Amino acid sequence: MMSFAWKTLRHRKAGFAGAFVALLCAAALVTACGMLLETGLRGSVAPERYAGTPVIVAGDQYARMTKKSGKEKAKILSERRWISASLAEEIGRIPGVTKVVTEVTFPYAGFTAHGWESAALTPFTLAQGRAPSAADEVVVDARHSGRAIPGYRVVGVTAQALPNQDTIFFSTDTARRLAGHAGQVTAIGVFPRVDVAVPGAVTYTGDERGAVEFPDAENARIRLISLGGALGGTSLLVAILVVVGTFALSMQQRRSEIALIRAVGATPRQARHLIGREALLISMIAGLIGSGSGILLGFWLRAVFVDLGAVPDNLRLVLSPFPSIVAALTTLVAAWVAARISVRRATTIRPVEALGETAMPTARLPWVRLVAGLLVTAGAVTLTIVLSSLSTEAASSPVTMLTALLWTTAVALLGPLIARVVTALPLRGPGVAGYLARKNLRAETGRFASLITPLTLVTAMTCTILFMQTTVEHAAQGERNAGVRADYVLGPGTSAGAVREIPGVRAATEVLHTSVRINLGRYSAQAVTPEGLAQTMDLKVMVGSLDGFGNTSAAISRTGGRSPQRRHRRRTAAGARRRHPRHGTGRRDLRPWPRLRRSDPAPPPRRGPR
Amino acid sequence: MTEAVRLDAVSKVFGRGQGSVAALREVTVGIPRGTFTAVMGPSGSGKSTFLHCAAGLDVPSSGSVRLGDTALAGMDENALTKLRRERVGFVFQAFNLVSALTVTENITLPLMLAGARVDRAWLDEILHRVGLAGRAGHRPAQLSGGQQQRVALARALVTRPEVVFGDEPTGALDTMTARDVLTLLREVVSALGQTVVMVTHDPVAASYADTVLFLADGRIVDAMTGPSADMVAERMTRLGAWN
Repeated sequence: MMSFAWKTLRHRKAGFAGAFVALLCAAALVTACGMLLETGLRGSVAPERYAGTPVIVAGDQYARMTKKSGKEKAKILSERRWISASLAEEIGRIPGVTKVVTEVTFPYAGFTAHGWESAALTPFTLAQGRAPSAADEVVVDARHSGRAIPGYRVVGVTAQALPNQDTIFFSTDTARRLAGHAGQVTAIGVFPRVDVAVPGAVTYTGDERGAVEFPDAENARIRLISLGGALGGTSLLVAILVVVGTFALSMQQRRSEIALIRAVGATPRQARHLIGREALLISMIAGLIGSGSGILLGFWLRAVFVDLGAVPDNLRLVLSPFPSIVAALTTLVAAWVAARISVRRATTIRPVEALGETAMPTARLPWVRLVAGLLVTAGAVTLTIVLSSLSTEAASSPVTMLTALLWTTAVALLGPLIARVVTALPLRGPGVAGYLARKNLRAETGRFASLITPLTLVTAMTCTILFMQTTVEHAAQGERNAGVRADYVLGPGTSAGAVREIPGVRAATEVLHTSVRINLGRYSAQAVTPEGLAQTMDLKVMVGSLDGFGNTSAAISRTGGRSPQRRHRRRTAAGARRRHPRHGTGRRDLRPWPRLRRSDPAPPPRRGPR
Repeated sequence: MTEAVRLDAVSKVFGRGQGSVAALREVTVGIPRGTFTAVMGPSGSGKSTFLHCAAGLDVPSSGSVRLGDTALAGMDENALTKLRRERVGFVFQAFNLVSALTVTENITLPLMLAGARVDRAWLDEILHRVGLAGRAGHRPAQLSGGQQQRVALARALVTRPEVVFGDEPTGALDTMTARDVLTLLREVVSALGQTVVMVTHDPVAASYADTVLFLADGRIVDAMTGPSADMVAERMTRLGAWN
């Protein structure tokens, strides 16, 4: 039976090309996505700055909550959680600890800035000059030797430079002041390697230290997990449906052949097996080639993501045979499922059909399929209506995909009906070819119907995936423009203090885009300086007012305001828990400002460079 | 003389209620072993249905069919399929061969499906007999229409079946090629003692048979032994086949 299937495959190469290409692409995409997923799950970033320190104590970068079921859930925070500097003394008293090094980290003019106190963590040593001691003294890393820092005097150059960050050292006091977290530090280094456990902080050793050093890498890992899963799953689904379509089509073309082998002695089971083997053979070849080339695709995808800034360069791909194996297996299963679905036709072919002229199959829709098709259509209509009323990205993204999927499923189920309706339309192509094409379609609606499904699916999925982002972006741009009253929007790295001193500037609002977790749910948030806010932003306040908006108040967007947790305790990135009095509800749900890169916000205005 | 196929009061009704059509009405006939029988009749006389029911390709509405000493009644599709591939051979009008397989592979297809061993000597003899000894490795697309029908006949013979059924086996061939194939069928009966039942509308084809059964309106209305083409044509005219 296997050799029979193999011979059929070789003989009908063209007929199987569609299925083969679909499976090949699916295998490649699943492999590549699997690599990204595995990197997300198991990948780690080697520490650079903390490389010379055995134990790092730092804040918990996750918001944790124990569910009623007793299961603990953890969600990553987008801002670094600082810890109390007083923990250093407490750690110093732990038996066996010989040295404790505190560190503050903050961005400064493109550099990652620290106080000289933390040089020992790497360790950084001076190649020339001396350590910074006065408030206006700095030390730069080896890569930036000779670079001038505006407003500061470079008094030393280190012997080292880190591969993925540009380091600058202020004096310890200046760094603490510039960091803007009084009494808090980003990390505490502990020597030698001893078990350290202190309340309010987490101990990191080995590669875990890299996660503290590069919080963005942690976010990227989680992005990779969801991205890899979603992309891989979608491509697999599309492949299955395309393969089902092409197999169904080939079943129709091979009706007489299958009727013949049934007549000369193939049981329905054998006919099914023949089709199944063909599918397995195709998917084996496609899976092998696809998962092989998928590894290259994985590297390429990662390179693209790194270029786009979605993945940090130091998050290396985790290489293992698992993605390839999983891809090859899923391709195999997908093809088998597809064959199983389309093979039902093969067994309904009566051997009598091989005798004399092949009877034309009547394309009657089974009523179960009709009812299912109508139900799915109803569901798709409902979802489309629901979708038009959704206004947040988080809610609409999954619903959009689901809606597209439902519509495609409806088309797949009602395909023969649609084919008959379409061919009944008075469409006319030009000339004899047009006339023949129309007659041919009308005579063979069944074949036309099995062609509609994969085409609809591919078109629908591609359009949804491609245009969803641009549509949301377009809507966000619209809201952004409507919400901005300011005449200029300045990008990252600008000093608000400097801007305010420019003659004629009436108001300048500093904006930081971030996110907060409320009961682990993620809400995008923006921090603003309240002075002159009404002049720069139009938040379209619906309830309450922004008068007296300040350090202890918050405004919630219309959709956020609808959330049942709106007055619950808010867990901010800094770890502070406090009750925010509600201070008005805005209408703007999509990001009203261009997102500022958190790694590079404006330096503190008091001592900003000009 | 023993019978290879026996039909007893076989009726076949298509559809239900008022729209129902009786294709066969109470047909009773026995086909003796080692004979060449032609079934003739005008279009719609039920000759294809007769063949389907006799060969176990279709299940009669009433009546019983016996193949040798096996009653077909009550057999499910799997059992019927096994019966067909072990004890019945088929030659159809067209679409006889699997285009992906060579001549030899097409001929041995029933054996492969049955999981049976190929008897090389028998295969060689069949190939020789149908005149395809030098073309065993060819694919159907490389053969002429007459050669393809001879491959189909070889496939029908390979399992040493009790009956070979032909449904217009020469229907798609020109006169000269048809004559070769019919001569071959005649030889198979005379030399190998094979039982052959052939449905045809061609009096010349029917004249190669030992017996001709005439079907009209679902009934066997006449039989003729030792037919000639003229006699058959004359009888068919009386049946209203060519008005």
